[in-house]
Amino acid sequence: MSQSQDIQFDGLYAHELTVSRSEQILLEDADLHLAPSTITYLYGENGAGKTSLMRCLAGLLQPEHGTVYWNNKPINHPESGFCSDLIFLAHSLSMKNELTIAENLAFYAQLRLKDRVTTTVLKTQISQVLIDLGIGGLERRMFAELSAGQQHKVALARLVLEPAKIWILDEPFVNLDHKTRGWLAAKTLEFKKQGGTVLFTSHHHIDELPVDQKVGVEHE
Amino acid sequence: MILTLLKRELKVARRNWIGLAIPLLFFIIVVSLFPFAVSPEAPVLQQLAPGVIWVAALLAMLLSLEQFYRSDYQDGSLEQLLLMSSPTSVAISKILAHWLLTGLPLVVLSPLLGVLMQINHGVEHSAHTWVLMLSLVLGTPTLCLLGAVGMSLTLAASRNGLLVSILIIPLYVPVLIFGASTVTASLENMRYNGELAILGAFLLIAIVFAPFASGRALKISVG
Amino acid sequence: MANAWRWFHQLGSPKYLFQKTGQWLPWIWGATLILLAVGLYYSLWASPIEVRQGQGHTVRIMYVHVPAAALSMIGYIAMAIAATVGLVWKMKMAFAVVRSIAPVGAAMTFLALFTGSVWGKPTWGTWWEWDARMTSELLLLFLYLGYIALHASFSDRSKADKAGAILAIVGVINIPIIYFSVKWWNTLHQGYSITEKGALNPAFQTPLFLMLAGIYLLFAALVLMRLRAEIVLRNQKSRWVIEWASGKTLERGES
Repeated sequence: MSQSQDIQFDGLYAHELTVSRSEQILLEDADLHLAPSTITYLYGENGAGKTSLMRCLAGLLQPEHGTVYWNNKPINHPESGFCSDLIFLAHSLSMKNELTIAENLAFYAQLRLKDRVTTTVLKTQISQVLIDLGIGGLERRMFAELSAGQQHKVALARLVLEPAKIWILDEPFVNLDHKTRGWLAAKTLEFKKQGGTVLFTSHHHIDELPVDQKVGVEHE
Repeated sequence: MILTLLKRELKVARRNWIGLAIPLLFFIIVVSLFPFAVSPEAPVLQQLAPGVIWVAALLAMLLSLEQFYRSDYQDGSLEQLLLMSSPTSVAISKILAHWLLTGLPLVVLSPLLGVLMQINHGVEHSAHTWVLMLSLVLGTPTLCLLGAVGMSLTLAASRNGLLVSILIIPLYVPVLIFGASTVTASLENMRYNGELAILGAFLLIAIVFAPFASGRALKISVG
Repeated sequence: MANAWRWFHQLGSPKYLFQKTGQWLPWIWGATLILLAVGLYYSLWASPIEVRQGQGHTVRIMYVHVPAAALSMIGYIAMAIAATVGLVWKMKMAFAVVRSIAPVGAAMTFLALFTGSVWGKPTWGTWWEWDARMTSELLLLFLYLGYIALHASFSDRSKADKAGAILAIVGVINIPIIYFSVKWWNTLHQGYSITEKGALNPAFQTPLFLMLAGIYLLFAALVLMRLRAEIVLRNQKSRWVIEWASGKTLERGES
């Protein structure tokens, strides 16, 4: 407990992190600092543990050992505000097939903003971002009716609709068309400019997105 | 926050109404088997009624559990819910939705089953029906709460389906005992408020422990 | 106090626990065999038959039945305690303890049911009676089997451990509720009851206490053996396990 006082790292800071999955140690005693206004690129082979590390930093996976701090408070500490500051986009899109696009997006926005946003404001925001993403006018369609590419775009729309201070994105660029890649890169840079912290993985180098820090995860 | 979560649960479940109707249909069909298997005579059915209706309600509750938890786990929504709100409130919203969409309809349907099982045989008024409904009103929420714990524990397990039943049925026994005996006491013209009080006590104990335990279990399943 | 705390932490180390249990086991086994030998001699030959209730030789079943029934309860409570330690202090070895108790506890529960049934046939004239104790014991067996089934259904052992731990704790909260409910239900239906308490004849006491001590120790020995197997299984990639398996003697110390 005394440790938390003398550590002063803004943003996300992982201290002596040991992560394992199915009893296999993926990462041992690693320190990692993601400062505000930086974009960090996480690379590594398939199965090296990129996703597990991200899930651990997001607080979904308990580390074997070590602590993750957000603005110098452990992330599970209620005062850290981590749960309202973080957007974590995983492989699974986390949208309900039974709901419309607008309903899906509005639900997450309302959950994050604790209903401090009116539905009419949210509605116009949603239609705007869908137009930007090239799927304008589809907000009343059921999520299940969209193509895989369109569904992916809906998940990305959350980044614009929900205010956050840190994004953890697992393969956000995979299977995106050229135009959407540009859109996502531009939004990421804009987020960085506003003081946001970004961590993302990708198999390929993304030309549109200059990164500030590269972190590799390797097999033993 | 719980209200936002609950609204979503109800909306998703309503669009999937057939999944909700099936456990209720099962409830009715199982009960209607007994006259064929045992005897269609009213006094016999009346004696069996409390047990049969309660067992069928219990099984219907078990059958409907999957629907409220499985898809959220599989499509990753559960992960997002746990990131943005406390595990306990996620569990509470699921338990409330499960009761509103399965427990409550069972209560509403139970007079019909009372008729099928001749519960009011030999009496003029329908007091027994009210007692049956009351016992289900107090008992089914406890079944939802315990079921939530079992379901949350088995989400990440490989062999699901029947596994949750094995875990949960022993825990359901006390509710079954007092639920059915409430109705039996009424049929025998005895006082049944003691049984109802105990059902209420079970409900309170479950309200204290189950949402927390279920929340912890959800967190483990996702991690 | 500080010492006890340190010891508690050392027990969390697989290697330390493996070494210690290895040292204890021969003694426990020795004591178990002596107690069981003497106990069986007393319970099968050197004790009188029951005449007052006309049970005759069947009273001898009690010398196994009572310890087994007691251990079935104690085992589940011990599981819940270890589960709490595991969840609260994040001590992995505690989960190994929970997993090790489960099959032995289930076996004791089965033994209690089986001996109860064998005793019931000549006494009550039936193999099974929905007696409050037997019914509770049956539900307890289901709880044990539920834990084992749940634990076996995960591919990830740490998830299995944690989920199983929660189930054990939820189960232990329910045990008194189940027992109370079944007892109430039983009096309602006026079933048989074996709870005819009278002063236990001192002649029955000696074999009973010997067998209680013997079977308790047997339980401990079996759990520790399972625990050692569990430790090896869970640490099969550590160096000390590989060295131990290739026949080297373990150096003292923790790792």
